[in-house]
Amino acid sequence: MHPPKSDLLQGTLDMLILKIVALAPIHGYGIAQRMRQISKEVLQVQQGSLYPALHRLEKRGWLQAEWGEAETGREAKFYALTKAGRKQLEAEEANWGRLSAAVATILRTVE
Amino acid sequence: MWFRKERTEERLDAELRDHFERLVHELVTSGVQPEEARRQARLEFGDLEQIKEDCRDVSGRWLEDFGKDLRYSARTLRRNPGFLAVSVLSLALGIGANAAIFNLIHSVMMRSLPVHDPERLIQISRISTDNKQASVSYALFKYLEGSMKSISGSAVQMESSPTIVLDGAEELVDAELVSGSHYSVLGIQPSAGRLLEPADDAIAPSVPAAVISYNYWHRRFGLSPTAIGKTFTFQIRNQVFTIVGVTPPGYQGARLGRDPDITMPVSMILTEKQRQQVSYNGFEMLARLVPGASIGQADAEFQVSWQAFLQRAASSMPENDHARFLQQRAVVTSGANGLDIRGLRSDYGQALLVLMAIVALVLLLACANLSGLLLARAASRQREISVRMAIGANSGRLIRQFLTESFLLALLGGCAGLLLARWVSNALVAMMADRGETLVFSAAIDWPVLGFTGAISFAACILCGLAPATQVFRANLNPGLKQTKALGRPRLGQIMVTIQVAISMLLVVGAALFVGTLTKLYSVDRGLRTDGILTFGLRTSDRYPPNRRWTSLGTLLDRLNALRGVSSASAVDVLPISGSLWNREIQVEGYTFRPDESVIVGFNAIAPKYFATLATPVLSGREFDDRDTNKSSKVAVVNESFAQYFFRGQSPLGRRVTSGNATYQIVGVVKDAKYQDLRQDAIRTMYIPLMQIENYQASICNFVVRVSAGDPMRLAPLLEKLIRDTDAGWRLRSIQKYSTVLDRTMRMERIMAILGGFFGVLALLIASVGIFGVIMFQVSRRVGEIGLRIALGASRSGILALILRDVVWMLVAGIVIGSSVAITLTGLTSKILFGITPADPAVFGLAAIVLAVAAMAAAWLPARRAMRVDPVAALRQE
Repeated sequence: MHPPKSDLLQGTLDMLILKIVALAPIHGYGIAQRMRQISKEVLQVQQGSLYPALHRLEKRGWLQAEWGEAETGREAKFYALTKAGRKQLEAEEANWGRLSAAVATILRTVE
Repeated sequence: MWFRKERTEERLDAELRDHFERLVHELVTSGVQPEEARRQARLEFGDLEQIKEDCRDVSGRWLEDFGKDLRYSARTLRRNPGFLAVSVLSLALGIGANAAIFNLIHSVMMRSLPVHDPERLIQISRISTDNKQASVSYALFKYLEGSMKSISGSAVQMESSPTIVLDGAEELVDAELVSGSHYSVLGIQPSAGRLLEPADDAIAPSVPAAVISYNYWHRRFGLSPTAIGKTFTFQIRNQVFTIVGVTPPGYQGARLGRDPDITMPVSMILTEKQRQQVSYNGFEMLARLVPGASIGQADAEFQVSWQAFLQRAASSMPENDHARFLQQRAVVTSGANGLDIRGLRSDYGQALLVLMAIVALVLLLACANLSGLLLARAASRQREISVRMAIGANSGRLIRQFLTESFLLALLGGCAGLLLARWVSNALVAMMADRGETLVFSAAIDWPVLGFTGAISFAACILCGLAPATQVFRANLNPGLKQTKALGRPRLGQIMVTIQVAISMLLVVGAALFVGTLTKLYSVDRGLRTDGILTFGLRTSDRYPPNRRWTSLGTLLDRLNALRGVSSASAVDVLPISGSLWNREIQVEGYTFRPDESVIVGFNAIAPKYFATLATPVLSGREFDDRDTNKSSKVAVVNESFAQYFFRGQSPLGRRVTSGNATYQIVGVVKDAKYQDLRQDAIRTMYIPLMQIENYQASICNFVVRVSAGDPMRLAPLLEKLIRDTDAGWRLRSIQKYSTVLDRTMRMERIMAILGGFFGVLALLIASVGIFGVIMFQVSRRVGEIGLRIALGASRSGILALILRDVVWMLVAGIVIGSSVAITLTGLTSKILFGITPADPAVFGLAAIVLAVAAMAAAWLPARRAMRVDPVAALRQE
């Protein structure tokens, strides 16, 4: 049996993508894999959300795409973080930290 | 671009395929059979096309969609050539008329002179007794020179249409006579040679300088540099000038509606008396503000100088003239838009604004009409819309497609409109021109006009497309997909028709008011008959011997009267109803003027047989004849109003009237006749013999010749010779029918009546098409219902009433809305109207009847179709 899966919070997908890409240039399949592995199968991103998000981030200038040879021998599209993307990631991480801390506090207090 | 697009597609495909293959690969390595692995991967992937579509949406592809929409719209429109033609034509008419009127408003009221910093130009002018800006004297110009701190320079100019001799040929040119400071005040640079400078004002250089315009350089010399250095003779003074330079292209002088060919220093023409005399007001004066000074500051400073100028001039005048002279007012106004000598702004300003409102309404009407037609088409595409929405098209996308269709129509209409605008503009300018002279407005492409046309085309696009686009929101998937014919009526369509009726009501009321004004003006009692009369003037060539003028005039009149086909001929100084007026102060023997009473009466000088020729009845006494010469005792004829006013029932015959230095004895009384124009009531008028004016010249006369039958213009070829034979120094000038002169004084009213009438008829036509379209559409939608009603026993006339009831409702609502708007709006036209009030019930009633007839006629065909519905066929179809 698969462990129970959680839906991604609106807006967090972009942040997670940026975070994963920040480690090293990576293709779309790799991003999906990583997200699943790191979250221990809790977060699973659908291709239908992933690719439009990648294209959106690329259009905003936060990601930079390059075609290169993958380990499979086929051509694959690799995404890398741009300078603006790094700034955005930092901002979103800080924001997320505040938000999750606040949510956690409320949950603790109200219990 | 195609290449790029295909590449983007390829890449998107490759990226997703890569992902897919990896997924399959992973499953296979975990032990799933390849076939099963692919199935699972596809399952996980979901709708591949949807993913691609979402990615495309992200990368922005409105341009691509727009191209697709354009092609789609072009295709649908091509399939309906009738609809395409009607809609483009009505938009072109609407947009073209708006662009044309805007172009005129821009030319007459808004365009700045193409000179350096036009905002700092000011005009200094007197204010005439009828509150119009009037010209000033050379003496004032000289007095102000260098005395005002708020201006850095000033210049005067006057216009003239002299005959010059250039390269041995006589030629009539439009000339501008200016002070040497003219070009430095305007701040323009020559396109060749040099422009006039203050040094050119020097009196009596051997060969003074002149400047030609760029257009004249182009027309006369083909832009050849050899033009510079050429000389010509200015005939009036027999003075030779050298061409020293050319003004820049686009510059057409400082006067509105003119394009002078030649500019000469005025100092070469002026006599010493004209330089000095404070009453020789023949000049327009421009000045340039120093940086930072405002028009208000300049005006304040000028008023002080003006008073000092008047005081100084008055000191050399007779005591009893002082009060009147010192009352003169003068004012500083902006000169940025050029000098308006012909009163174009005051004469046409309101008319142009009213026309602008009319054409704006026409465009609105065209849009409402087109919107109604597009709406009907959209409604018939309801099923298509429902299908597309059902398979996932989003509504924004569909709305854009509707707007693309109207965009295409507006684009075509706008382009056709621009072509039309040029033509309409030229026609209007020709109609505005006075006395045979042409008005010349800059032919340059005007960005404001282009921008305006673009903006109204865009507005038209949105207006036309919006209503049909809202159909998208109304699209109800379920009934839309079932192929039933909805029984509900298209409310929006009815609103559109009501709007069209309301706008048409406004336009028809306007048309009736303007046509009514013109008819009333033409039918007003003139006191003289203009039909069957030919008029012409004379031009005397240089150095005309003054002593010949008395004899020649008499001889010419005798010969004209003896001409076959002429029943009577005479001459007059100021031709009545031509827009001109001659006023003089008088004293009447035995009559004491109150201090506030006007001592001014209409004045005119006429030859014998004048009243006989114009068919103005002589009520008592006689009109002038050969007895009244420059040597005989001075006599006068007065009109009825004059006699009534000054002599109150007593006989005016034998009474004396003094004007200027002469005293005239009244020998006749004639019926009142209109003087300046047809609008004004006849004024107290006094006539004296032409022969007895102080400085008479044959060239100031207007000859009037009544023919016994036929077209007066048939005389024209004979006259040319007759005049040369009578006096070799004379040339024929502006020969025309009297009725043409009359038409010209009413050119503004004619323009309003012609355009108002045209747009009124156009509005009726457009509204009729709109009503026809909407009713036809309704009937076609309700065929089933009508069939059912007939099958159940409804009478044919009942069906007719059913259909027409709708029309009547739209009609009544439209007329009521239109009338209430019209009543508030027509007040704006009160200054233009004559003999008719803006809220004339007859006009409104007439307009309502005309509209009702047009609407019923338009609804008749569809209503008849409804009446003839075959119930069996209709129900079977259902």
